[in-house]
Amino acid sequence: MTNNLELDVLVIGTGAGGAPLLARLAATGLRVLALEAGVRHRPAEMPTDEVAQAGLFWMDERLSAGKDPVGFGRNNSGRGVGGSTLHYTAYTPRAQPDDFELLKEFGQGVDWPLSYADLEPYYDEVEQFLGVSGPSEYPWGPPRQRPYPHPALPLNGAALLMEQAAQQSGIRTSAAANAALSRPQEQEGYGLRPACSNRGFCQAGCSTGAKASLDVTYLALAESKGASIWEGAQVTKLLMQGGRVSGAEFVRDGKTQTLHARQVVLAAGAIETPRLLLLSGVGNSSGQVGRNFMAHVGVQVWGLVDDDLRPYKGIPGGLISEDFHRIPGLVGGYLLQSLGVMPVTYATQYARGTGKWGAALSEHLSQYNHVAGINVLGECLPYAGNFLELSSELDGRGLPKPLIHFSFGENEHRMAEHAEAVMRDLWAKIGAREVWALPRAAHTIGTARMGHDPSTNVVDAFGRSHDTPGLWICDNSTFPSSLSVNPGLTQMALSLRTADALIAELRA
Amino acid sequence: MSAQERAAVIAALNGPTVTAPTRATLLERLDARYGRQFLSETEFARLRAVALRLVPHDPAEMDLSGLIDQRLHQNLSDGWRYADTPADGPAYQGLLAALPSNFETLSGDEQDAAIHKLQADQPHPFEDLLAELTEGFMAHPLTQYRFGYAGFMDAPGWPRVGPNELEAREIAYGESGNDQ
Repeated sequence: MTNNLELDVLVIGTGAGGAPLLARLAATGLRVLALEAGVRHRPAEMPTDEVAQAGLFWMDERLSAGKDPVGFGRNNSGRGVGGSTLHYTAYTPRAQPDDFELLKEFGQGVDWPLSYADLEPYYDEVEQFLGVSGPSEYPWGPPRQRPYPHPALPLNGAALLMEQAAQQSGIRTSAAANAALSRPQEQEGYGLRPACSNRGFCQAGCSTGAKASLDVTYLALAESKGASIWEGAQVTKLLMQGGRVSGAEFVRDGKTQTLHARQVVLAAGAIETPRLLLLSGVGNSSGQVGRNFMAHVGVQVWGLVDDDLRPYKGIPGGLISEDFHRIPGLVGGYLLQSLGVMPVTYATQYARGTGKWGAALSEHLSQYNHVAGINVLGECLPYAGNFLELSSELDGRGLPKPLIHFSFGENEHRMAEHAEAVMRDLWAKIGAREVWALPRAAHTIGTARMGHDPSTNVVDAFGRSHDTPGLWICDNSTFPSSLSVNPGLTQMALSLRTADALIAELRA
Repeated sequence: MSAQERAAVIAALNGPTVTAPTRATLLERLDARYGRQFLSETEFARLRAVALRLVPHDPAEMDLSGLIDQRLHQNLSDGWRYADTPADGPAYQGLLAALPSNFETLSGDEQDAAIHKLQADQPHPFEDLLAELTEGFMAHPLTQYRFGYAGFMDAPGWPRVGPNELEAREIAYGESGNDQ
């Protein structure tokens, strides 16, 4: 079935890559439509229950190989109108200028084809629009042009303990920037978003709209400006016509359909984007599609304390330190973040991470209310051995499942060791007991990277395909390096930047 | 489960502090029971025996083994799998088949020894099974009651989030609350 809509731009995916761009294009008067594999999850219909919220995650099976196989499912990648922002913790630190120039600084990794200065106005715009809550003065990075629009959210138990321990260790900390409202905010296209109720379920879905997931922010704006969003539309192939990408084939309500547009933006994330490109045989003259998969060093350290912390309350990540942004002898660095946690997430992580079972398991879990956590997000370098390919195993639609190879390199191992020692020391300072570390990787990054040279990169500095007209990529697959910060804010800034380039091209 | 615990859980779920979607979810889970559909009778009996050692629980209270069998029957994925491990159904069947044939009749200590060996021999499938049982256990309203978890009573929000800043509904709910 062919849908004969006259579209300027077709966007595949409604997460941090697709949504800001969709709103920008629609506001310019362009005819735009987004296809989203998942469905709408309305805040008020969200139960405060992790198992019941499994539908917010991308649960199609992915195969994980390598020495450090990455857990997907409830760990990474969202499914639904809003994409992974439905379950992001809403941590929104900016990258620092030197994050974009690792090669220049260390002779390792890859430099970005753009600088902090290119992104700064977009960072600013996104923070104001989402209503980021943050400190009045942030100790790291360049000074801000404008303050955060709302004061920081209250610190929960783990954050206060980390603050206390860090003070004793001489480590500077700050309230984090979170894209959840500390004060109500009127949101264009949506209505009034209330202040955060401290429900602590950010890693699942927000039930009030206080968290700036994209359904209640950029997508609401996009629809108010005339954009269409078709939910439940799983794209299975990119279509070509006359040497250019001309549209997409997708399955909706059990029927295979097609849509065509002047330009197509692929914004399906660092797993589904390269998978679709490989399935379609598109955009890969560099041979780099699927290559350079990265996932942040994400080791967590947990402990038990006497205080009744109730880790289900408050924004999960309230306190931050970027004092380890650079570490002598290592390439790049990491940031420290306090952790709140929901019970099932904690329990399954503990079981997987420690291998404990029987009475030892249930005794530990019975002390859930006394659990305090810290984690890091650290630089992960791109390596040739870390890549996504199509498996010979087929999914329910008869398409090859993605197979992801991932192993930390020496820098990541040493960074994780460094970070674990720092965090264990912090928790020793406050007398935590039964301290244990969960070695972990977080976020999906790379696989269709941007750069100036078409022979080694998939897209240019604006996300435009080097080899296939009509195709743009706008999601965390284009990151040339992982950045030592949570990727959401940077992704949204890149999305607006790509939108501006797309608008210029369509007008040319 | 004592009648008292069950009554406390139901009273909390039916109270004004719980939103309707959360209430519906947890009330349904409290009494969920599943008929065996995927595993053979022999496999299922063994799964129940293993599950009791891995995550101690009363199967009359929470049907953790049935929950797994149901998931396998519906062919639902949790989003990923170790590439060196077969699909979940065959992987779990392989785990169960690797246990001694008289596993169910062994003493608790003997069962534990067999499980330790299984954990060493098949680490990835074992980890998956352990995590799935743990999830079912921790997500059950009775476990949450016993561990003093009151996070689902969030309709009014949590104005104070610092250490030991408990709201009345948190103090009153669960065994840990009653002990204080």
